[in-house]
Amino acid sequence: MEQETAILIRGLVKWYGRIQALRGVNLEVRRGELFGFLGPNGAGKTTTIRCLLDLIRPQAGEVRVLGLNPQANPLAIRARVGYLPGELNLEANLRVEQALRYFDELRGRRTDWSFVRELAGRLELDLQMPIRNLSKGNKQKVGLVQALMARPELLLLDEPTAGLDPLMQQEVYRLLRQARADGTTIFFSSHILSEVEALADRVAIIRDGIIVEEAEPGRLVHMAVRRVRVRFKKPVDLAPLIRLDGVSLLYQNNGIEATLQVEGDMEALVKTLAAFPVSDIETEHRSLEEAFLAYYKEGR
Amino acid sequence: MLTEFKHTLRRLRGSALGWGIGLALYSLMIVSFYGSIGTMKLQILELVSGYPKTFIAFFGDLNALFTPGGYLDIYYFGYLTPIIGIFAVSACAGLLVGDEERGILDLVLAHPVSRTALFWGRFLGFTAALAGVLFLSYLAWAIPSQSVGFELSWGELLLPFLSLFAVLFLFGALALLLSLLLPSGRAAGMLAAGLLVANFLLIGLSRLYSEEIGPIVRFTPLYYYQGGQAAQGLNWGWLGGLIASGLILLLPAWRLFLHRDIRVGGEHGWHLPALRFLRRG
Repeated sequence: MEQETAILIRGLVKWYGRIQALRGVNLEVRRGELFGFLGPNGAGKTTTIRCLLDLIRPQAGEVRVLGLNPQANPLAIRARVGYLPGELNLEANLRVEQALRYFDELRGRRTDWSFVRELAGRLELDLQMPIRNLSKGNKQKVGLVQALMARPELLLLDEPTAGLDPLMQQEVYRLLRQARADGTTIFFSSHILSEVEALADRVAIIRDGIIVEEAEPGRLVHMAVRRVRVRFKKPVDLAPLIRLDGVSLLYQNNGIEATLQVEGDMEALVKTLAAFPVSDIETEHRSLEEAFLAYYKEGR
Repeated sequence: MLTEFKHTLRRLRGSALGWGIGLALYSLMIVSFYGSIGTMKLQILELVSGYPKTFIAFFGDLNALFTPGGYLDIYYFGYLTPIIGIFAVSACAGLLVGDEERGILDLVLAHPVSRTALFWGRFLGFTAALAGVLFLSYLAWAIPSQSVGFELSWGELLLPFLSLFAVLFLFGALALLLSLLLPSGRAAGMLAAGLLVANFLLIGLSRLYSEEIGPIVRFTPLYYYQGGQAAQGLNWGWLGGLIASGLILLLPAWRLFLHRDIRVGGEHGWHLPALRFLRRG
């Protein structure tokens, strides 16, 4: 059992002074899994990840990373883990390659530099650029390269695509899928529902320092709430739409325009709309955070 | 540890070179004046006799100005500690906490480097940078010394630098400890620098009020700093005592770092009860 578990967390409690950040987190990530860790800001995602690396110490609970206790074996764990912090800061006066070589030295110079160049090429990152001249997105690429370059057994990625443009996000997804195919376990936090859908095998949602849901992404999509704005070529009767399961009317303008709230998947709504004279349809991509805040505010 | 040692040296390279070259140029200027001091002895003594006695006492025995050790002390080592102390204190206050406040330490410690290796590697890096600064200055004294008639051997010239190194090592260790105790590296640097300057002033005042302040200054580090006088005989016990005191300060600092929650970035709050009370009000 232990050999199949990459991360095991039981009853993890962390206080920062008087503030309780984690209230008994329980979580299990299997080896080879691509696991999404979701939650609003301040929910405890980063705190949980930092406990896994012994950067901070919990007051209670049990943690095992690759079968090891982070407090007893921090170096053995870190040698096998790649980490991308949520707030990435790098030494501004170094060039990208110098920063990567420093991280490589900390790992005992075991990096395959042809792989580093391949990663940099795929992410369109110039290794000779001074870090102080890099944009937020390019700094994020440096963070991704340093996390991936040692081909670790486990990747802990806090918001891996933050600051990247959509094309580059797709490239990161490909890199992560490839790493997973090579046997790496990936534990990542995100706010973006489409990212979770695209990547994760399983997802856990943390809120106020406790895991509130652990599920397949498909189920989360079903639970998510989104808004759909529809404009019609002529005034219509909206009743057939409102009668649909999980659809409610938020706003309408004389039957020519309507804003609907849709809970779960869109299939039934789209099929019903096919019979309407639709001129335009707009789906508001709410962040997962918003979607789940709405979900939990409704007391479900 | 070696990686962190080299990394720290690389980071301190710029400021160490700046301080080293600056002090070396200043040293060259001072040493070049030495030849003319002997010929102007009477004029200088006459000039100095017009100064207030308290002012003269603050700087020690001005008659010693005409000996190599006294010249070194009064023109250079006597007031160098608070100046070069800025380098030592600011470098050490930011050695670990500076990176933590910039959010860099988080990622560094996510790599397979122990906190012990990080702590000692960085402090040794600082120590080597400090030695480099002082060595440049030493060379600036030693190389032209014979040509200006400075009657001290290269070995004798080295001794005041050892004394200075020891006292800066101690104040560097103090700044590092304070940085791990106080909420910010900046506050630690300011407090350590303040204590260094206060100690410097206290030593000066003890020459004026030896009965009142004399017994107190014995408990301060700069009392055991010989400055230029070390050229005539270094007190190895005092030197060892300063280094040992620095090491004693480093032990709790190391322990604090081992058990510290590494912050993601920014300075820590002071969490003063009085301020909390005011905010509530």
